Amino acid sequence: MNKPLRIALTKGRLEKDTVGLLEKIGYDCTAVREKGRKLILPVPDGNLEVVLAKANDVITYVEHGVCDIGVVGKDTIMEMQGKFFELCDLGFGRCRFALAAKKGSKFYGGYNVKTIATKYPNITRNYFESKGMDVEIVKIEGSVELAPLLELADGIVDIVETGTTLKENGLEVIEDIVPVSARLIVNMVSMKLRQQEIESFVELVEKAL
Amino acid sequence: MKRYDLITPEGTRDLLFSDCIARRAVEEKLAGIFKGFGYSEVVTPGIEFFDLFSGSSRNFRQENMYKLTDSKGRLIVLRPDSTIPIARLASTRLKYAKLPLRLYYNQSVYQNNSLLKGHSDETVQSGIELIGGVNTKRADYEALSMAAQSLSEFDNENFRLEIGHIGYFKELVAKLDVDEGVQEEIRFLISAKNYPALNDLLDKVGSNQVTNALKQLPRLFGGVEVFEKAAEIYTDDKITGILYNLKEVYNRLLNLGYEGRISVDLGIVSHTDYYTGIVFKGYLSEVGQSVLKGGRYDKLLGEFGNDCPAVGFGINVDDVARHIEKIGGAPRLKTADAVVYGEKGYVVEAVAYAQKLVREGLTVENSLFNTAEESEEYARTKGIKKLIIVGEDVKELEL
Repeated sequence: MNKPLRIALTKGRLEKDTVGLLEKIGYDCTAVREKGRKLILPVPDGNLEVVLAKANDVITYVEHGVCDIGVVGKDTIMEMQGKFFELCDLGFGRCRFALAAKKGSKFYGGYNVKTIATKYPNITRNYFESKGMDVEIVKIEGSVELAPLLELADGIVDIVETGTTLKENGLEVIEDIVPVSARLIVNMVSMKLRQQEIESFVELVEKAL
Repeated sequence: MKRYDLITPEGTRDLLFSDCIARRAVEEKLAGIFKGFGYSEVVTPGIEFFDLFSGSSRNFRQENMYKLTDSKGRLIVLRPDSTIPIARLASTRLKYAKLPLRLYYNQSVYQNNSLLKGHSDETVQSGIELIGGVNTKRADYEALSMAAQSLSEFDNENFRLEIGHIGYFKELVAKLDVDEGVQEEIRFLISAKNYPALNDLLDKVGSNQVTNALKQLPRLFGGVEVFEKAAEIYTDDKITGILYNLKEVYNRLLNLGYEGRISVDLGIVSHTDYYTGIVFKGYLSEVGQSVLKGGRYDKLLGEFGNDCPAVGFGINVDDVARHIEKIGGAPRLKTADAVVYGEKGYVVEAVAYAQKLVREGLTVENSLFNTAEESEEYARTKGIKKLIIVGEDVKELEL
């Protein structure tokens, strides 16, 4: 048998949704469900090997070809970029990027340069660049919502699912930037050298969606 | 102040021993093929004017080039590519030379990559440029067969050479009534095989035969069946001609004995304003990106006032070297055949004796120790099988 296709999953919610999808296709994912602390797990009947990684690392592994396929959010793809094929929108992990500020504050008012707090500096930079607007970007690692509350920033750019966190902290969405969902990405060389295996896998995935 | 005197800049590395041997092996093999086909080596400067790489079809992103200024304050870059300097050279010093020109190069190129993603900023590339030629089809065929031969030297069973034609995409996209920005977006999505986003974008542009064909374009890769599929999706005289010629090239390459290793991808759409005809990429199994890139660029030399067709390709030597090291195809690091030790008073004689052995083709190390015992111990640690002691007479000790 050929060496298995290696698929990198973003740990956490996307991982659960993807495993659900693989099971829907009919693969036996017991090993992945009972993973313990292991990071590389076999899906024997699919000739697959699942690797669990953080979102940014999924892209790095796929780009370098040490994993053939990856499942990762569009948010990470936009922030990291990189060279790979983005074959399908898996439909789960849906949310959106939005610009938010304190309720009632006039974000676009005044002539001062705005400060934006975000975990996604590249997306934020591109967004305001496309508007031709100079902003100062501050990278925050944890809860971005804190920054405007502590008056470090005028607004935030972040992922919004329901908007509850924003509301509870007295923030509101100023505008939506772009919708986000999980994507299936493929290494450019694997796509060519293992075309049939990958195409039939993708076909199964698309059918199960 | 923090001093950076013990490390190399981000994206660069020192090459030691076996890495060097693998790299040289690749370079030598490639040079052998290139020279065999009558190509002559050229070397262009490591630094060039910024202007050379900006404007017209030569749009290297300024943020990806290493920049400095010369003594007159003019902007200089570390060469990010070799084809463009060679086009400059062919259009100036070689402008009146008899065509075709067959040139090859083996030199580093520099790219300021985003940090910490494991890509090198300095890579060695080896490649050819075939400039001029009355019959450009013959030239294409020459370049392609050399590309296939080059890859087969390193992994004959598992390499892949993929051919396409930039004209298929260009013809289709020209029929759309959209501005350049949208064309570029379509191009980008096709090159990333981003099916969902491409569908969304083309749905907005409209639903007709052309948008339908463009939607299929990223899927048009694989074997000979691609030609049929492509012809079904869209036909007009130009596209039929392009597909006919490409199929001919494809079949001829198969006939050269590369069956199963040649494929087609009509979705190769990078550098569309630079390439004008056939385009191709090469892959090796242990490298996560293409190791060979090439194609026909008939407009580039015209930008230097020398209207002349050309085709060429470049191979990433470092990636190929890594590949042959991984599959065990790299030559072994050689240990010396013997250690030569001169007894007290015979130091010069020992070196002279070592010289004699070197002339005979052996590899020897001259011992820098004070005793024969230390020399012997050194030889044993390094796995050298012979100790030669030069004194009144010459004694050879097998270890």
